[in-house]
Amino acid sequence: MLQNTDTRELAILDIFGHRLRGTYHRSSDDRSGSWMSGTGADRPAVLFLNSLALPRAATGDSAVYWADSFARLGYPTFRFDLPGLGDSDGQTSTDVLDFINRGGFAPAAVGISRELVERGGYSGVVLVGHCAGAVTASYAAAAFKKCKGMILLDPYFHLPVAKRPESREKLSGWARRSALGRPLSNLVDRVKHLKLFLRGSALPGNANTRLLSKWNDLSNAGLPTLLFKAPGIKATGSKPRVGEFDYLEYVRKLAGRKGDLVMKSIEGSDHSFANRIGREAVRQEAEGWLASHFPLTGHEAHTKAISLPGAGSKRNGASRPRVAPPNPDCALEGR
Amino acid sequence: MTEHAGYFEVPGAHLYAVLHEVEQPTARVLLVGPFASERHNTYIPWVRWARFLAERNIEVLRYDYRGIGESTGDLQEMTFEDWSQDVKLLSDWLAARRPKAPLILHGLAMGAVLAGRAFDEGIGDGLLMWSPPFSANLALRSTLMRWVGLEQIFKFGADRRSTSDYICALEQGSTLEVDGYQWPTKLWQESFGFALPESLLTEQSTPDAGERPVKITRLGKEAAPLAKGGSVGYDDLKDFTWLFKPHFEWIAEAAMKSNQREQNAPEY
Repeated sequence: MLQNTDTRELAILDIFGHRLRGTYHRSSDDRSGSWMSGTGADRPAVLFLNSLALPRAATGDSAVYWADSFARLGYPTFRFDLPGLGDSDGQTSTDVLDFINRGGFAPAAVGISRELVERGGYSGVVLVGHCAGAVTASYAAAAFKKCKGMILLDPYFHLPVAKRPESREKLSGWARRSALGRPLSNLVDRVKHLKLFLRGSALPGNANTRLLSKWNDLSNAGLPTLLFKAPGIKATGSKPRVGEFDYLEYVRKLAGRKGDLVMKSIEGSDHSFANRIGREAVRQEAEGWLASHFPLTGHEAHTKAISLPGAGSKRNGASRPRVAPPNPDCALEGR
Repeated sequence: MTEHAGYFEVPGAHLYAVLHEVEQPTARVLLVGPFASERHNTYIPWVRWARFLAERNIEVLRYDYRGIGESTGDLQEMTFEDWSQDVKLLSDWLAARRPKAPLILHGLAMGAVLAGRAFDEGIGDGLLMWSPPFSANLALRSTLMRWVGLEQIFKFGADRRSTSDYICALEQGSTLEVDGYQWPTKLWQESFGFALPESLLTEQSTPDAGERPVKITRLGKEAAPLAKGGSVGYDDLKDFTWLFKPHFEWIAEAAMKSNQREQNAPEY
């Protein structure tokens, strides 16, 4: 069996007694035989982390697509399976969501990042995480000084319930099918909205305060962060559903003037960003962001961020959002 | 017991495979997994199954279809013939490893159709199929229905589209995007003609079942995510010993019988 293709190399790291397996997408100007040749000192490596329990290719192999693109642009890009996921060794907690929300995968993510910097010679890492992967990326970024930036796709900042009660599922199912469903659902949303209004700006009881505290640190440190948001259920743009707390607005305020947070709402995408519109928009926006924050010297990187019609093009802004089909594969959708 | 990941070169692509190597294996198993998005949903229990077997002295090779997962290639360009060639290439490679040991093919869902057709052509000493559909079309339909069902969860009234709406669009020549994979019309059309041989529809119908054993197991909801049902991200972490153990025992027995036949075969 071969260990390489023209553009990829299989990588192994031993972290905390676990053999972790991943794929290196060779940067387009890498002529060395291995990612450990130490030729990337002028640039950060891009590291993709698993989303919940998905293997490192991610939904629709979207992570493979983005990794190929970033590598073509000149950024050495890695996708590693965290312990117990994908091809990596180790046992995952049966309550993987709770484990992730407490930052359980962060030490492994930091371990991988450190190895990439030490053995690959890169100037740092840019962490990429989707959904639960974004939670892991945030914890890891706060714990690793050589994290140079984050690309986060539909992060969440609360402690979701892994499985909703069956009776609640049945009620929701009825509401969706029935003619009365939509207006009734809207009424419930309005009641929630009223409760939220009465609470003022206080965080909801199920907020992941530990994670938000890390975000506060990262914002104060001015860590460059590109955040993608797909329109959610009964929601528009980066705004949440009526009656839900606006965490993105909260973290935007946390970022304040010191922070380097760019938010993009991707119209027509779903939660996975794996559909054609989502993956293209993420690729283009992320390429532009990488090129502007981590310019490559002596390398012809694409520096133009070409915004798709409908993809947010303003800093901290969203444009003409509309409701798009979510990806229900993810248990966190519909929270 | 060690695991080696690597690539096999095939026309226009590289196949990603992981060998769960065993020094003196009692059997070798080629795992032919499910299609496209089902690969992702079943990945953790599928890897655990490979490890379960390797821990019990059975060498395992698992891989990704051309154009899917870690394998390279453009899914939209692939045909069922390409994927059949992959099964043959990998089973030849596995069978040629030494010391010699019986080769068992094990397919899940679409993988069962691919494994079954290879077995029908004389490849392998035994065949294990989990939830085999009659044809590749039924496997695609099942994946599509699952995806549509999940799509509908979050839609109201007129926004909800049925499976037949999507099939109609596909049959009219539109590429359909299912869980981030582009299904071309060609894939759908070809899938009708890509079926399990009739002789493999039941264990009893296999003409040489005594010589080359076949086992078929229809997985129920309790086997999610290897079967339909359950919650993605939660069920894949549960204990599957109840499923793995009896199937390991069947593989061990099939291998033993194959060895006995080999020993009793007349020498020419």
